[in-house]
Amino acid sequence: MSDPTATTAKPILPVRRIARSDLAARGEPFVWIMGAALVIGLTMITGFLAFVIYVGALTFWPQPVAVVTTTQGKVIAGEPFRTETFKPRPEQLEGASPEARAQVEADLGIVERTLYRVGNYDLFGEDFAWVSTFEVKSTTYPKDMYFTERLEWGPFVGRMKELDAAGAKQASPTYKQLRDAHALAVVRRAEIARLEKVEIAGINHDIEDLRLGIRRADLEYGAGSPEAAAAKARAAEETAKLEARYKVLEQKVTSLRQIDETYAVTLEAIDGQTKTLPLSNLVRFYPANDLSVGEKWSIYGARWIEFITTQPREANTEGGILPALVGTLTMMILLSLAVAPFGVVTALYLREYAKQGAFVSFIRICVNNLAGVPSIVYGVFGLGFFCYILGGSIDQIFFPEKLPSPTFGTGGMLWASLTLALLTVPVVIVATEEALAAVPRSMREGSLACGASKWQTIARIVLPRAAPGIMTGLILAMARGAGEVAPLMIVGVVKLAPELPIDMTAPFVHFERSFMHLGFHIYDVGFQSRNSEAGRPMVFVTTLLLISLVLMLNAFAIYVRNRLKRSYQVGQF
Amino acid sequence: MSQSDAGAPAEKRPASVVYKREKKTKASVLFTDALARYSITIGGTLVILAVFTIMLFLLWVCWPLLDGGRVDGTRKFALGPASAPFLESQMDEHQTIAVDLQPDGVIKAFHVGTGTPIEVPTFDLGGQVATAFASTLRGDDILFGFQDGTIRTGKLNLTAQITPAEQAPVDLRKLDERDSTDGRQVFSRIPGQFRRTTVDIALDAPVQIADAGVAILKADYRFGGTAERPLRTFVTLDAMGKLRLTQAYTEINMMTGEGTTQLTNAEIPLTAVAADVAKILLNTPGDRVLVVMRDGKIYRYNTRNFAKPELAETAQVEPAGVQVTAITYMNAENSIIVGGSDGSISIWFGVDRKSKETTDGIVLTKVHGDFEKQPAAITDIRVSQRTRMFTTTDAKGNVWVRHGTTERTLLELPGTPDGNGLQATMFAPKDDGVLAVGKNGEALLWKINIPHPETTLQSIFGKVWYEGYSEPTFVWQSTAGTDAVEPKLSLIPLIFGTFKAAIYSLMLAIPIALLAAIYTSEFVPPRTRAVVKPVMELMATLPSVVIGFVAALVLSPIVENWIAAIVIAFGVIPLVLITMSFLWQLLPQPVANLLDGAPKLFAYLLAILAAVWLSRQAGPIVETAFFGGDFKKWTTGEGSAQPFLFLVLIPASFVLVLIATRPIYNAAYRLNLRDMPRILAASRELFGWFIIAALSLGLAWALSMLLQEVGYDARGGIVDTYVQRNALVVAFAIAFAEIPIIYTISEDALNAVPSYLRSGSLACGASKWQTTSWIVLPTAASGIFSAIMIGLGRAVGETMIVVMATGNTPILDVNIFNGLRTLSANINVELPEAVRDSTLYRTLFLCALVLFVMTFVINTVAELVRQRYRKRAAQL
Repeated sequence: MSDPTATTAKPILPVRRIARSDLAARGEPFVWIMGAALVIGLTMITGFLAFVIYVGALTFWPQPVAVVTTTQGKVIAGEPFRTETFKPRPEQLEGASPEARAQVEADLGIVERTLYRVGNYDLFGEDFAWVSTFEVKSTTYPKDMYFTERLEWGPFVGRMKELDAAGAKQASPTYKQLRDAHALAVVRRAEIARLEKVEIAGINHDIEDLRLGIRRADLEYGAGSPEAAAAKARAAEETAKLEARYKVLEQKVTSLRQIDETYAVTLEAIDGQTKTLPLSNLVRFYPANDLSVGEKWSIYGARWIEFITTQPREANTEGGILPALVGTLTMMILLSLAVAPFGVVTALYLREYAKQGAFVSFIRICVNNLAGVPSIVYGVFGLGFFCYILGGSIDQIFFPEKLPSPTFGTGGMLWASLTLALLTVPVVIVATEEALAAVPRSMREGSLACGASKWQTIARIVLPRAAPGIMTGLILAMARGAGEVAPLMIVGVVKLAPELPIDMTAPFVHFERSFMHLGFHIYDVGFQSRNSEAGRPMVFVTTLLLISLVLMLNAFAIYVRNRLKRSYQVGQF
Repeated sequence: MSQSDAGAPAEKRPASVVYKREKKTKASVLFTDALARYSITIGGTLVILAVFTIMLFLLWVCWPLLDGGRVDGTRKFALGPASAPFLESQMDEHQTIAVDLQPDGVIKAFHVGTGTPIEVPTFDLGGQVATAFASTLRGDDILFGFQDGTIRTGKLNLTAQITPAEQAPVDLRKLDERDSTDGRQVFSRIPGQFRRTTVDIALDAPVQIADAGVAILKADYRFGGTAERPLRTFVTLDAMGKLRLTQAYTEINMMTGEGTTQLTNAEIPLTAVAADVAKILLNTPGDRVLVVMRDGKIYRYNTRNFAKPELAETAQVEPAGVQVTAITYMNAENSIIVGGSDGSISIWFGVDRKSKETTDGIVLTKVHGDFEKQPAAITDIRVSQRTRMFTTTDAKGNVWVRHGTTERTLLELPGTPDGNGLQATMFAPKDDGVLAVGKNGEALLWKINIPHPETTLQSIFGKVWYEGYSEPTFVWQSTAGTDAVEPKLSLIPLIFGTFKAAIYSLMLAIPIALLAAIYTSEFVPPRTRAVVKPVMELMATLPSVVIGFVAALVLSPIVENWIAAIVIAFGVIPLVLITMSFLWQLLPQPVANLLDGAPKLFAYLLAILAAVWLSRQAGPIVETAFFGGDFKKWTTGEGSAQPFLFLVLIPASFVLVLIATRPIYNAAYRLNLRDMPRILAASRELFGWFIIAALSLGLAWALSMLLQEVGYDARGGIVDTYVQRNALVVAFAIAFAEIPIIYTISEDALNAVPSYLRSGSLACGASKWQTTSWIVLPTAASGIFSAIMIGLGRAVGETMIVVMATGNTPILDVNIFNGLRTLSANINVELPEAVRDSTLYRTLFLCALVLFVMTFVINTVAELVRQRYRKRAAQL
């Protein structure tokens, strides 16, 4: 090329060299474009994380309740949810005042609007209302506006009109009175829930077991055989006992419920409609505009605790995500249990035992490529092979009494974990191989020279040195497993599975059960639910939780990797 | 550790003492070693095998798609000679009883498993013998036409009732393992219950249609309406050549159960000779009557207006010299299957071609004609009630099972009972058997198994002409409301969608990732790099469900609202950056040197923010000025095409201007510049840039005007009607997943370029930029290529982002503002609903296989290139 520096350097005679550089040779515009690309990349990731963390962390913070009066005389009360700009269609501008119209005109037809969470779905028929900024006449924050979370129908925004404590009526109760009454109601609700979910459910489970026992006896000894008849008689006896106990419990629950219903609260919406409901139906309530910072923090904390430790409500859009969290963690543990031995053994074989050559490097390429095969392909394989073929056979051999309803012959925790194990095994193989390769040859030779056998060398010298590297691979596999959703949707994740894979009923672990998963929860609540807007806060918080989980695992992996590098530097000689 | 263990005892011992060592290795050590060797070898091999089994398993599952059918067994029964040829056969869906109907109303029934005769009632036709017979496609509503001009409608049903096992009668004759009979009905044992199969018949009173004594020659019959208000429609042709369409509307009195019937007649003008009519065909709504002549002419009557039927079209379905010997409607009554005297088969249906030749614009078109010919004239065609399969019987007694849409011959059932041919064939209701009765009174039942008749390589990867379409197309439509609409399983729209998403996203990801990688590797100080690279790699760890969710719920409304701003941002950002770079040159060299490194990154950030702010401000203005105030409306075809062309042409005209200014902006000019003080040179450069920018804008404007004059419009191609969840949003989201991969791998490749190459170049006086572009980049090119390939592999397999951020519409449309459906998204959406081992299930496995092979090939190519590059880099 016509590089001036090169041409001037040619002559043999000493020439005056110019120290000034050529501006064009520096390619400043190109450097800028490249630098900008890097900055765009960095901004994308930091912006994304900042956005998710910001929105997720802020979701549970109690917002004030605004009472907005529009120019058309409409009054709404609600939490401001989010603000955006849009282009109104002409008919949306019809009610606006001339000044407002002129303003909109000046802004090229772009208008700001705010979404208010007005709640009261049972009264209004919708949870949200858009208010454009130009139609706002006044916005106030009355101190007596309460934000109430309920077990059903979503939140209620309005005033507390009356508290009815078993006949003792109290108009306009104070926050403290309400809280004291509510604390008792919560205890009652917990007791009813315990009776229903633990005791009665346990009896139902036992009855179902007895029924299956009869079927099993039928299948084993043939219907009508004396053994089957004996089993039937025994089961009938047991069932009668159980049913008697069930009656007693039912009675107890009914009476508790009757007592509970006498404690009620009457709420009044902004438009004057009232709603009376049992106190125990309220999850949480607070005067949104009359909170101290300490109270706000305690509500914030209580909401996080509720989120982590309770079951979901209202089609997953409210309540907690305990089953999804437990499902994800259990799956990750199962996955690592499955993937660790296989991955390590394969890597050991490839690196230490197999004869290095064209064939092994071909295998290595293939293993590498398998890490790039789309996860959904593994999901398809998991469904076809694990669920239908393996699971189907297991059902026929071990659970014939439950057929045709499948036990292992359908998607479930075990199959999902195995599918993900298969998906992540290449990751572990590659990581382990790298870790094994990084153990200096001299150490192996030293060990062998001392008379250790090959296995002794591997077990005592190589593996301990490679352990951090293997750990890194495992953690990365777990992180990948935690974030994968697509294959799980095929092999066992469901939108609602209140029964956890690990619980107090024998045999305590139920790996045949379908389960919930944080990633799928995001997809399901964000896209499949009735009211995706109402589910949005839930989705953002779940996203935050999932991202934290994945990032924590990755950060841990990086930490282990860095330690590994350091320990090599020490270990080398 | 091992070192110290070995060393310690050696120090304690005096060197002179001969220490006797046990030379033999302990047996347990040897054993453990051997055990470890074998178990690791076996375990390792097994895991590798298991992983490779995936592909074989996928192949194994989808292989049956290409299989034809097979015959599971053949049974022969002697029915004894019949007094007249059979009109039709029927069999229930469990293949318990088969019946054959004669023109004199006699029904022969037998048990399918054993051939044992079953006594059933017969139609009392009052001693008459039917001169015409018609039945619906299911065969259970029938019509007889008689010599005296009357017709009688009736029902011939095989009904199955489930009863508890206890209620079964006791004195039954056992037929086989499953069935027993009391002579009139068959009881089949099913777990815990009994199924009772009976033959139920009903016959309505005669209705005089033709003039008294004028025989009915041909008829067709359809049964519609509801159970309480049946509507029977039939068309009859009498010996006088009169063609009548009749509707019999019956109202059943709820109290008495008796019906009153109202008849309405319409005469269809028929110009042909009645004796030459081969068949008349009617459809269930009764709005179309086809009169098929023996010479292959078809008169299509439009009877939508019942009172005034009109001849809509005359079509010729057979070439001269070939006669129509069999014709019938296919399931859903849109297509007709024509069998010729030369053994040929063709399928026709009406295509709306807006033709002037016919009164309603619809032209009867030969859609499928490439069927294998049978050795003799086709005598009978019977269609399946649930799929597009049909059987064709020829005069030599061969029965072939074919599939209409794929034109495939699935089975060739050989032979005939007596060589004289078959007279009544039927397709079992579940498509699992074919029954044929020979003229010698012998019946043949073939148990057939055709699980996937509708799939061939052609139907999966090629164009197929589906019913109701005006031409062969690629369609994916896996589920339809009814059996009448066949599933359409072409993978082409999905493969297209996969590459559409991948390519659009790569167009965003490659520039950002590559340029960022080059900058990180060559221009960023090592300490900044140690921060920057892990942050970019962090991007790769984000679960795709999160990216998809944010893309769909947050990004897509923003993109929709600010689409004009985003479109112009693609131009504004580079323009602002380049301008800023020339401004940067104005800084004195020491200041510029001082700011190089991390502070410069902030300068870039500021420039980008400025550009984004500028685009955001300019967006609405540009939208109003260029796109008639609404970009989305503009994409549908409103307003002028020129402004968009202008925006698109800017890069091209920029390149043109650069080439054109080359003679001025040459080495001499640059030498001249170099001798100037920096500030002056930088100002000259800035000025030059403004001129070049202005020139390229002007050129782009001129070119766009020119193109508009020529009549070119970008809309209809890659820009077309806007939908909210579109390829642009998906491209952004997938780019998010691709960038870290391409970035890391290409950065590694750049980093692996030996540093002495750089040093050499710099020592020769080249600038950093020159070293990068002339030394580092060419050396690392293959590594960068493999990075892009791996990025492509990732994009092709991405699932959740696509599921969430596109409308999942399987269409062949390059429009960046329209949705798409990828192979992976398709699997994800459809597999949870697919029934195990169904055609859809296997096709989805095929999708997975295609995806597997695609990514495996892409990754292998990338890996091979990368390994070659590593070798080369090591040699340098």
